[in-house]
Amino acid sequence: MRQKVKMVILMVLCLSMIAGSTAIAETPYRTYTVDGYGYVLETQSAYNPASAITKVGETSFVTPMDMAIGNDGNLYIADAGAHVVMVSTVGGDEVRMIGEGTLQSPTGVFVSDDDKVYVADKDAKKVFVYDLEGTLLNEYGKPDSPIYGNSMDFKPIKVVANNTGTMYVICEGNMNGIVQISPVDGGSFLGYFGTNYTSLSPFQILQRLILTDAQRAQMLSNIPSTPTNLHIDEDGLIYTVTQGDKDMALKKLNIAGKNLLDSDPYWADLPAAVTTGQYHNMLVADSDGYIYEYNEEGELLFMFGGRDDGRQRIGLCNKVEAVAVDASDRIYLLDSDKRQVHIFEPTEFTNLLHEALYLFSKGRYTESKEPLEKVLQMNSMFDYANQAMGHAYLQEENYTEALRYFKLAKSADGYSDAFWEVRNIWIRNYLVAAVAAIVAASVALSLYKKRQRIKYGENGAPAYFSQRVPLLGTLRYSLHFMRHPFDGCYGVKREGRASIACANILLAAYILVSIIEKYFSGFLVKTVREGRYDIISDIGTVLVIFFGLTLCNYLVVTINEGEAFLKELYCAYAYCLTPFIVIKPFVVILSNVLTYNEVFLISFANIIVLVWMLVLLLISVKEMNNFSVKETAKALALTAFTVLILSLLICIIYVLFSQVIDFISSVLREVVYRIGS
Amino acid sequence: MEAKVDMKKTGKGLIKFGIAVLAIIVIVAVAVAASKSGGKDSLNVSELQTAVNAPEAALSDGAVDTSRQLDGHHLVAANDTYELYLYEPALSIIVKNIKTGAVMESTVRDEERLGNVNETWKGFLQSGIVVELQEETNTMQKKLGLEGSGAQVNVELIPGGFRAKVDYPTQELGFETEVKLYDDGSITACIPERSIYEHADNKKIGNIYVFPLLGNSRLGEKDGYMFVPDGNGALIYLDDKEGRFDSGYVQKVYGSDIGVGESYVLSLLWGRYETHNDAEMILAPVYGMVHTGDEMGYLAVIESGDEEASIYATPNGAYSDYNWITAAFRKCTTYIQPTSNSGGSVTKVTDRIKYDINVRYMFVDGEDADYTGLAKRYREYLLEKDELVRVEDSFKVRLDFLGLDVENWMLWKKDVPVTTVDNIREMYADLEKEGVTDILSLYKGWQDGGIYDLPVTTYDVAGGIGGAGDLSKLMDECEQKNIDFYLFTDGVRANTETGNTTFDTVKKMDKRLYTQNTYQNVYREFVYWTPQKTLENLNTLQKNLAKKGVNKIALSVIGNTLFTYTMGDTMQTRGVSKYLYEEALRQTSENMDLMLEAPVECYWQYAKAIVDMPIDDSDYIYTDQSVPFLSIVLKGILPMYGDYVNFEANEREYFLKLVETGIYPSFYLTYENPSELIYTNSSHVYTSQYTVYREQILRYYNELRQISELTKNSMIDEHEITDTGVIIVTYDNGVKLYINYSDAELKADDVTVPALSYVARVNNELTGIAGMGVDEG
Repeated sequence: MRQKVKMVILMVLCLSMIAGSTAIAETPYRTYTVDGYGYVLETQSAYNPASAITKVGETSFVTPMDMAIGNDGNLYIADAGAHVVMVSTVGGDEVRMIGEGTLQSPTGVFVSDDDKVYVADKDAKKVFVYDLEGTLLNEYGKPDSPIYGNSMDFKPIKVVANNTGTMYVICEGNMNGIVQISPVDGGSFLGYFGTNYTSLSPFQILQRLILTDAQRAQMLSNIPSTPTNLHIDEDGLIYTVTQGDKDMALKKLNIAGKNLLDSDPYWADLPAAVTTGQYHNMLVADSDGYIYEYNEEGELLFMFGGRDDGRQRIGLCNKVEAVAVDASDRIYLLDSDKRQVHIFEPTEFTNLLHEALYLFSKGRYTESKEPLEKVLQMNSMFDYANQAMGHAYLQEENYTEALRYFKLAKSADGYSDAFWEVRNIWIRNYLVAAVAAIVAASVALSLYKKRQRIKYGENGAPAYFSQRVPLLGTLRYSLHFMRHPFDGCYGVKREGRASIACANILLAAYILVSIIEKYFSGFLVKTVREGRYDIISDIGTVLVIFFGLTLCNYLVVTINEGEAFLKELYCAYAYCLTPFIVIKPFVVILSNVLTYNEVFLISFANIIVLVWMLVLLLISVKEMNNFSVKETAKALALTAFTVLILSLLICIIYVLFSQVIDFISSVLREVVYRIGS
Repeated sequence: MEAKVDMKKTGKGLIKFGIAVLAIIVIVAVAVAASKSGGKDSLNVSELQTAVNAPEAALSDGAVDTSRQLDGHHLVAANDTYELYLYEPALSIIVKNIKTGAVMESTVRDEERLGNVNETWKGFLQSGIVVELQEETNTMQKKLGLEGSGAQVNVELIPGGFRAKVDYPTQELGFETEVKLYDDGSITACIPERSIYEHADNKKIGNIYVFPLLGNSRLGEKDGYMFVPDGNGALIYLDDKEGRFDSGYVQKVYGSDIGVGESYVLSLLWGRYETHNDAEMILAPVYGMVHTGDEMGYLAVIESGDEEASIYATPNGAYSDYNWITAAFRKCTTYIQPTSNSGGSVTKVTDRIKYDINVRYMFVDGEDADYTGLAKRYREYLLEKDELVRVEDSFKVRLDFLGLDVENWMLWKKDVPVTTVDNIREMYADLEKEGVTDILSLYKGWQDGGIYDLPVTTYDVAGGIGGAGDLSKLMDECEQKNIDFYLFTDGVRANTETGNTTFDTVKKMDKRLYTQNTYQNVYREFVYWTPQKTLENLNTLQKNLAKKGVNKIALSVIGNTLFTYTMGDTMQTRGVSKYLYEEALRQTSENMDLMLEAPVECYWQYAKAIVDMPIDDSDYIYTDQSVPFLSIVLKGILPMYGDYVNFEANEREYFLKLVETGIYPSFYLTYENPSELIYTNSSHVYTSQYTVYREQILRYYNELRQISELTKNSMIDEHEITDTGVIIVTYDNGVKLYINYSDAELKADDVTVPALSYVARVNNELTGIAGMGVDEG
């Protein structure tokens, strides 16, 4: 261990000599992180470009394809074009060349903990094993096991090995998975590992059902992609990256080949290589020069880098082939297009985060607070740190602070847990007072009602005013409609118990309540981002849908001998919204005091509201038009069809209209151009 | 049948209607275009030719023996130190230092040494002046040397040098050039605009390179370096690069030209996020070549045509075996004119951009033949020319405040105040208690509507930060406490959502509106005011501020943005922007104290200080060393403030860099937690809370102030890097600063410098402030 530390110090020394005074420049790339909503934010530079190796000693790279860091701190670079594995210090000085004369096209290199150098040679169709001095120890060709497949070629492109010497080899053109070879008996085939699977989209399934065999043969075959690159950590977990697999580009496989990561939307588009750091952090290098750093669970911490495209700045790459991390967290990126190795140094910020990451993963939450606080001081919007702080406070039973941090981190699970505790304390403290208050309030209410009855007669104030103000009467009727829809419809149709004004008010109330629900629901059930408002489109959506449906329905029922007028339908449908208006406000209030344990109450209430409205709607259609059940069903089906046609029509008109606009603007541009010239 | 007829009728009707509409559109468009083209606003060249105020140096016009030969060149001018030789057919010059015998050549005469280069590059390497020919609308321009291209060169010797008339008969174009030697060791080369002619319709001068190979060296044959003005300054060593690089440094002086839409690759992450940071730009129109072994070097200053120049510094291995550095002058350029929305376009060529080309090569020798020498020479030059005025230079810590930004709320925008006037007062009081009194502040986002409510033309203070009365009061208090309190605004950009930007906004060469994408949520894009309008806006603002007694203003963007644009259908060059901006800044500086954000050289004289001074270079793969060239030029003359310390991920190194460059520290502060800003356009400010930075401000203040006391009002005399890696900065009052960036203790002279620290030495006595406050961790 001491040896290792010394080595690190030595390397730090070397590097600071190389880097000289050029480390402070603004990085050529920006660094991003992701907040709790999945929103991408800028942050301090996580790693700064330090230097670049353009040559090993006097030798330039030809086609460098892979790179590994040995325990000696040296870089092992497999150069397929130079047919050799170059061993270089991090300063770019040549240590030695391995495999001169033997290697034909080394595309993968791996240095194991017991100091063996594994080289995958695509053209030699072999995996070679050397010691650090470059002496060939072993070579493994195509497995002769029948399970491997006689017709299957053996073209190893990447290789890693675990501490028992079992090799995991990615072979070109072998879709079965990673080839697992044991070193015993000159290399025995153990089977395939970490196979990628394909999935069919519903559309593809449909396609396969309809198409003929001949047509199907012409489609792109749906075969699983071979992993692009792999890595093994000290626990023997295998990490693979696969290009073209959007959902599961990065996999962390245990010894049984089971993936331990969930799908995450922040994968690299074109992952080229993967490695792990000292804190179980994972680093994925994108072929386009982006580097992604994830924590153990696969949550994105940083994303930085980018394509060089002629900018010629250190830290930007064109085609990344390999990534490696050394003992002092420096990242090495191998670029086969620029034929360089770029070296990145972690910044103070990243060092703090790594420390916190380490403590946090060990469950030492309280200790992790100190580095986390520093991280948050440097960037208070770094949500990963907010979330970790929340957990730390939760452990310390400081629930209000935990709640604050979880809310900042947008971490619903954490928030729910903390809120449960906070509510618990509140209930303990104020339960008696609250019950007393409720009792007092209900007594006061009944007293008030009594007085009202004395003043306004037996039915109380509502009935009193309803009789005198017609609008109030019709509004009050909506409550009746809600409970007695058959009777209600009769009232609307025959007795004139509804009015347009009243329907407008109900519709407005519906819009209001739906806006309140959207923006003022509790943290756990809220679906929109805090602070995001888009009222106009909220209102617009409701109006368009409501009026569209009403109109389509009216058009359909009139040609189906329905008896209802447009006005009556509008009123009846508006009345159908009453359950929403009456019940939702309570749901919204409730959502602010519930945790995930009770959140089913809200879903339950939502279902009730929905079903109630649907039932009212069905009954209204039937009763207002004096339809039979069969006719109702037919009318509804036709309405759905009409809506479809209408939306199609709107689409077509929109497309045509935009063509016209495009045409006019083209003419204008042409005119400007002609006049200009 | 009837229905069909009807259809036909309606169809015809529609067509007629369509034609009518089109006709109207065309007529209106023609009318609009015609009315605009008659506009008065285009400036002509004569207005722009501000006389080049050359330093007072006598022309070396003594008679010389023109028959004296050197490598096929004959002598044309000489003074006590330098001789100028010329080889007429190629306009190749050799500059010889008489005292040391060192020479610098401007071409490669020796065919054998040329190596495997193609004809084009051969012509380039062997010509004193190279023209890039713009044929038709080809986007690739063809290089024309002198000897191999059929060019005719007629040389006439004039006192102090020569005049050459260069004609390209095949291409029907030509120009004259004049080269003169002065007694102060400088050589000027100029190509006046009036001498340029282009008779063919389809052949134009694209770029002109003036003495592209002056001071060239082959592979690693000479010790020395090329100096490029990238950021604060950078060097490219003249060692053998062994073919590592296939291109070199190319940058436009004063930054890129948004008006021509120079092609660049925009690679967005996930199709949405811009992941690249721009490279540092060239703030001063200079470049240099030093042969340290021969103790000879020059600094080239582009005296005229700087705004259209690009600097090329090419190490060996890229294109040829030679190291060369030069400026190329753009005389016309191509741009893409879109003709339809679906991607249709044609390539067009601009008219000739009219300006004189004038480059001054100032030679240095002996001890001055290094980058410090070049910087000192440049400093003298600027002071002599009055382009730099010495301002009292006393240490101040820069504390900028962000007042208010806005976020979307319901249908409107909601104010998000993060630092009110009262907050600032409180912070000042708190700092005063700790002894922090020398402060300079820029207040950003003080205007109604927040920091991005642009343009600002009145003293309309946001209510959310305390209103106009309170802000004025604060400024009075600052005046008494000797705090420099500047109101910040953006001189160039306009917000399409908060102001009327229908007129007077910048249209690119393709006559499309220029829009700058913010990649943010509240305001998605900005446009630029035309320089004419900027001038007008600034004048209005100035008057309105003066009425309220405000006399300090800080401007961003205007100091480092130049572009080609169109007005009506006339091209307005970068020279026009430069002229109008300079006018605006001159007028502003006459009435107010002016602070500029990273301004280019031509505006330095108007500023009381420079903020956001680049502290380093852009870290290109082919640059070998970063040097504080601009710091050496400006230290002790004009106060410089750096970028914000907040966003530095490596604080300790940044601190040392401030010590090395003499740049004063800057902090961006808010009183509230910056998480308030997450939904505003200022969401990139992720760390700024005062309470977080309080300790750091105190530390930086106390320590840097002590160093600044030692070096107060003195200039940097020498800057060197020892073999051990220690950087030694010597001031002209004898103070020496030793800086160690490495993680280990280092020795230099007889001084031991602790790891990541520095030592100051006054009159050979080590002072006690060495690195005491540098943070551990």
